[in-house]
Amino acid sequence: MKKVLSPMRIGWSLALVLAIVLPLVVGEYMTSILLLIAIWSIVAVSLNLLYGYTGQLSLGHSAFFGIGAYALGLIAVKLHIGFWPAFFAATAITGLFGFLVGIPALKLRGPYFVLVTLGFAAIVGVILLAWVDFTGGANGLAGMPRPNPLPLPSGGSLRFDSLLSMYYFVLFFLVAISLICHRLVHSLIGQTFIAISHDENLAEALGINTMRQKLISFTISALFSGMAGALYASYNVVISPDLAHFARGMDVLACLIVGGAGTMAGPVIGTFVMMAIPEALQIVPSLKTFINGVILLLFIVFLPAGITGGFKALFSKRDIQG
Amino acid sequence: MALLEVSSLSKLFGGLMAVSSLSFSVEQGQLVSIIGPNGAGKTTLFNLLTGVYKPTSGRVLFEGKDITGCKPFQSARIGIGRTFQRTMVFARETVLDNVMIGQALHVKNGVWGAIARSAAARREEIKVREKARSLLDFVGLAHTEERQAGTLTEEAQKRLSIAMVLAADPKLLLLDEPTGGVNLEEIGGLIELVQKIRQSGITVCLIEHKMRMVMSMSDHIIVLNYGTNIAEGTPAEVAGNSEVIKAYLGARRVA
Repeated sequence: MKKVLSPMRIGWSLALVLAIVLPLVVGEYMTSILLLIAIWSIVAVSLNLLYGYTGQLSLGHSAFFGIGAYALGLIAVKLHIGFWPAFFAATAITGLFGFLVGIPALKLRGPYFVLVTLGFAAIVGVILLAWVDFTGGANGLAGMPRPNPLPLPSGGSLRFDSLLSMYYFVLFFLVAISLICHRLVHSLIGQTFIAISHDENLAEALGINTMRQKLISFTISALFSGMAGALYASYNVVISPDLAHFARGMDVLACLIVGGAGTMAGPVIGTFVMMAIPEALQIVPSLKTFINGVILLLFIVFLPAGITGGFKALFSKRDIQG
Repeated sequence: MALLEVSSLSKLFGGLMAVSSLSFSVEQGQLVSIIGPNGAGKTTLFNLLTGVYKPTSGRVLFEGKDITGCKPFQSARIGIGRTFQRTMVFARETVLDNVMIGQALHVKNGVWGAIARSAAARREEIKVREKARSLLDFVGLAHTEERQAGTLTEEAQKRLSIAMVLAADPKLLLLDEPTGGVNLEEIGGLIELVQKIRQSGITVCLIEHKMRMVMSMSDHIIVLNYGTNIAEGTPAEVAGNSEVIKAYLGARRVA
C-alpha cells in the first residue's frame, strides 16, 4: 500500500518542485500572483479541514483571515514588537476566536451553522470598519513588518525583504500546513472528523463526542486561516477591512469546490485555477468575478467532486474494472 | 442488581404519549426481546435509553447509575451500544475504516500525536486496525475489509453495523430489528450472530417482529402497546397472554 514512488508522492513532489522553480523564471509580477495564490491556498486548505473533512461549511473564514491580519498589524505596529512574537500571537489569537465562536456556532447544524459563520464575518467586517481609533477604519492599517532575519547556524542570516524570499516564506507555511492537515486527516482523529461529515447522528451513537471533535477541527481551521491573514499583512504592508468581507470567504469556498473538497490537493489546485485563469487571460478586474462564477457553475454542474475528486473517481472506477 | 433498570419512563411528543410510565429491568447476560405492534414505542424506548430523546419523566439506571438524559455519545461510553432500524454505516468509507471508527471512543492519542506521528499514536492505530480485523472476522466479513461499506449487501451492512457497535466494547447491546429488510434465507445467519454475541457475555436487548425468532431465543420478552408494557415474561408466558393476543390480532368487535 505504501510505495515510496506512489503516483501521489510523484505528483506532490512535482508540484513542489514547480512551486519552487516557477517564480525564478516568471518574473516579479507573476511571482506576486503566485504568492497571493499560496496565501489563499492556506485558507482553502484550512477550510478544507473543516468543510471537506468534517462536513461543517463555514462562509466566514474571511473573518479569521481578517482577524489574523489585523492582530499582526495591531500588535506589531502599536506595541512595536518584532514580527515573530506578533506573528505567533496573531495566530494564537485567531485560534482563540475560532474556539470561542465555535462553542455556540457548532451547536447548530447545517444551514444554521452556515448562517452563524456568515453573520460572524459580517460582524467582524463592521467592527474593523467602524472602530476607527483601534483599527484605522476604512483607511486600514499600514506599516506591517516583514519577518525579521533568521540567523543561520552557518553564520549568515535568512532575510525576507525581497519578493522572492517572501514567496518562499509563504510557500513554507503552505507546505507545512498541508502536511499537518494531511497527517491529521489520516489519523484516528481524522477518522472521527470524516465520520461526523458523513453522519453526525451515527458518529454520536458510536460514542464520538461530536461537539468536541468539531470544535477541534474548527479551532485548527480558524488558526491556520489567521496565520494566512498574518502572512498577508506582513507581505502587503497595508491591510483594510474588506479582507474580512464574507465575499472573500465565498471565493475560498469556490476555490475549494473547483479543486475538490475532501481531497488533499483540491484546495491548492482550485485556488490556483481560480486565481491564475483570470490572470492568464488578462481579464479586466471587474470581469474576474464573472469568469470565476462561470467556472464555478460549470464545475457544480459537470464535476461536483472538483478536479481532484474527478481524478479520484476515474482511478477508483479503473480499480473496480481491473 | 439489574444491568438496566427503567422506572416509570414516559415520553410525550406534543399530545402523544409515545412511551408511558414504562418500567422493566434487564438482567446481566440475558437476551431480552421487545415486541409490539408498529407505533408501540419500541424505537422511541431505544432513543430514550441512549439519550437521543430526553424523557418527559422517569429514570433510567445502568449498573446502578442514573443515566437519565445523558447525551448519546455518553451513553455509548458507559457501555450501551445500539444499532438502528435503518441500517447505518459510513457508506463511502471502507469496511475496515467503519469498524475502526467504532473504536473512536477508546482512542487516547490526540491532535499532537496525530500531527507528530508519535510512536504511541502509530502503535495505537495498529492496535485499532488489528481489533477491527478480528471483529470483522467475528461477524463474518473478513474478506470485505477493503470494500466501500455502501457497496455491501443489506445483510452484510447489518453485520458491519453490529461490528461497529461491538468495537466500542458495550456491556449492553440494543439491536433495532437486526433481521429487518434482509432476505428470508439470510435471517438464520444473523440470528446465529446475535446468539454468538450473547454467548460472548454481552447482554442483548432487541426489537423484533419475527415471532419464531423471538420465541426461540429470548430469555425474557417485553410486550409494548401504546407505549406501555402490557405483558412481560418468558416466551411461554407471553405467548399465552390474552392481552398480547388482543394487541396483535385486535379485540373481537361486537357488531
